[in-house]
Amino acid sequence: MSQTPPFDEMHNADGTIREPYLILEEWLKEQPPQALSLMSADAESLFRRLGITFAVYGSNEGTEKLIPFDIIPRIISAMEWRRLSKGIEQRVRALNAFLYDIYHRQEILKAGRVPEKLILNNSAFCPEMMGLDPTRGVYSHIIGVDIVRVGPDDFYVLEDNLRTPSGVSYMLENREAMLQLAPELFQRFKVAPVDSYPETLRRTMESVAPENTKGAPNLVVLTPGIYNSAYFEHSFLADQMGAELCEGQDLFVEDGMVYMRTTTGPERVHVIYRRIDDDFLDPLTFRPDSMLGVPGLFDAYRAGNVTLVNAPGTGIADDKAVYTYVPEIIEFYLGEKALLKNVPTYNCTNDEERAYVLDHLEELVVKEVHGSGGYGMLVGPASTKQMREEFRKKILARPDNYIVQPTLALSTCPTFVEKGIAPRHVDLRPYVLVGDDVRITPGGLTRVALKKGSLVVNSSQGGGTKDTWVLED
Amino acid sequence: MKIAIRHDLSLVLGPGVQRGVEHLLLTPQSGPTQNVLGWTIEMPGIETAATFIDGFGNRAHLVSQVKPEAELLIAVSGTIETIDRNGVIGKPWGDTPPALYRRPTAETKPIGAITSKFRTAPRTGADRIPLLHALMTRVAEVIGGPEEAPAQAQSQTGDDATHSQSQSQSQSAPEASTTEAAPRPPASAYAHAFIGTARALEIPARYVSGYLALAEDGATALHAWVEAWDDGLGWIAFDPMLGYCPTDRHVRIAVGLDAASTPMVRSVPVVSSPENRELSVSVAQ
Repeated sequence: MSQTPPFDEMHNADGTIREPYLILEEWLKEQPPQALSLMSADAESLFRRLGITFAVYGSNEGTEKLIPFDIIPRIISAMEWRRLSKGIEQRVRALNAFLYDIYHRQEILKAGRVPEKLILNNSAFCPEMMGLDPTRGVYSHIIGVDIVRVGPDDFYVLEDNLRTPSGVSYMLENREAMLQLAPELFQRFKVAPVDSYPETLRRTMESVAPENTKGAPNLVVLTPGIYNSAYFEHSFLADQMGAELCEGQDLFVEDGMVYMRTTTGPERVHVIYRRIDDDFLDPLTFRPDSMLGVPGLFDAYRAGNVTLVNAPGTGIADDKAVYTYVPEIIEFYLGEKALLKNVPTYNCTNDEERAYVLDHLEELVVKEVHGSGGYGMLVGPASTKQMREEFRKKILARPDNYIVQPTLALSTCPTFVEKGIAPRHVDLRPYVLVGDDVRITPGGLTRVALKKGSLVVNSSQGGGTKDTWVLED
Repeated sequence: MKIAIRHDLSLVLGPGVQRGVEHLLLTPQSGPTQNVLGWTIEMPGIETAATFIDGFGNRAHLVSQVKPEAELLIAVSGTIETIDRNGVIGKPWGDTPPALYRRPTAETKPIGAITSKFRTAPRTGADRIPLLHALMTRVAEVIGGPEEAPAQAQSQTGDDATHSQSQSQSQSAPEASTTEAAPRPPASAYAHAFIGTARALEIPARYVSGYLALAEDGATALHAWVEAWDDGLGWIAFDPMLGYCPTDRHVRIAVGLDAASTPMVRSVPVVSSPENRELSVSVAQ
């Protein structure tokens, strides 16, 4: 797959412009020579003022960084989006049904469609969740599906991200920035708005409030605190949807209910959008040394007095080893063929597949089963001999800890770089909300690998972002 | 048999605590081997506690206090009518899928000296039950035996005593030290060894915490045993410390993956094992 030239989202093979980009091409031609550089500088100062930064773990600078923003939007046609969003909706419905099943009767395991050991012996499986009935049967309410495109109609899902996907604040701020930087563009294009996301998030959370809620449910965002790399996003989302931003110490459990300390006395909390990992949620049930969580929170959840968004234990459905079974999972629960493709994945515990992998490391991508954010990953074509040797040893030592995939020729989008406009590889993370319905914000976050030829789009590894436009008919 | 239980526990939270939160697994449920005739828990905050069924099907309480006393007293009492079914629990409706209990945990590592003996033993169909009985006997030999026992026992009890982080264990067994002979390893050591081996053989096995009437052979009134799965009969209880299937002297309180998932009391602030102030498990008239 790495041999074929990547799909260029703006240009056809003959150099003509693809339809969704026609107006943009015109606009780009009209711009005076220095305009794009100025716009780019404006964008940077805009983001600095907004204070959108992120912390890079393990970086020597160890400081807050600004994610580079590319001023050229990525454009998706209405038809392309309809197909894509249908596939995403199918996936999140099936994965929520899967979560319900494995935490209840486990029919899919009894049917032998997914290996029992893969689920029940998996550290991401949470036995404490057995038999619990979350409101409306929804486990993963907030999802960010990572998708890459390799052809006009060829989309692959890389990861489902059903735990606590981040980045939605960039999607919203990128649009805000584009509206300020190039308002005239929005008069020429009919771009589907994204600004209703916080309101939709609020409605989604309200729709899954505990059944014993009287009146309007009280919603909060629970953050690990200011040292978390996504703290900005936590405070941004709380602010945008009009919910309180809390740390563990701001909440307490009394008489089986969860309360928030306020200046006017305790207030009951009904729905918690928690951005704290499962292990740290509640020292009474999970890690006793957690200082971030709320003692008794999980029990209050089990007693039906509070809703956790997302539910604990959703990680079992986006585990990289379970990923390979998603097409099977969709068929089992929905009786449909998967609309979006999975990336073919090699299983290193299989002797034959492992042998192939070790022979072809320079063309493959190796990921840790429980890793995320582009950490602990080997991108074959961009690796050194030493890095490959290191991963060879790692795979041999713990074959079950890695999955291996072919290097996909990620599509490219025109990107403003030092030498002007050039194609750069992109991916896409659309954001999905699941409550009384499945709602997908048109577009999502486009991440772009700013280095020429690079396929790693993670912001922690030198990637940037773009505004993503879904055109309306 | 009618069994009367009186169990007073004390939790030392320490002075100046703003809020106490406790998770209790101290409520027996009626089932094939027992009927709960009466059961009460008295402690500060119990009137407004939330009660619910946990992930393993146990009845749990979430209790909380504002500015609790430095020492929290929990008084449990009740009467249970038990039925001797030769250990057969069966397949209760709505029970957690047995496959869950093949999940290995840190406490239930298989012990080589036990597992090696059964690795090639037939274990399906009619062979399952004889195998489980042989396993029960082997666990008693290895964990309780005079040769291998000391190292095993030391490490087990040592763990329990020093692991104040590992949440209060029900098996602190203060009575064990009152017996004259060298103390036997706690019942949890036998249960974990049995479970670890069963799971290594792909047989679902779970930990049971409970009470034992007419305790003997170094066992205490606070006891632990196991249940293992047979496709035909369902769950069958084994007491690897006493070497036989539980009878009407065993009162079942909670089941789980291991001792860590079935403590009678867990609390924040985290305290080491609760102290058993009074414990009597007696045969009632």
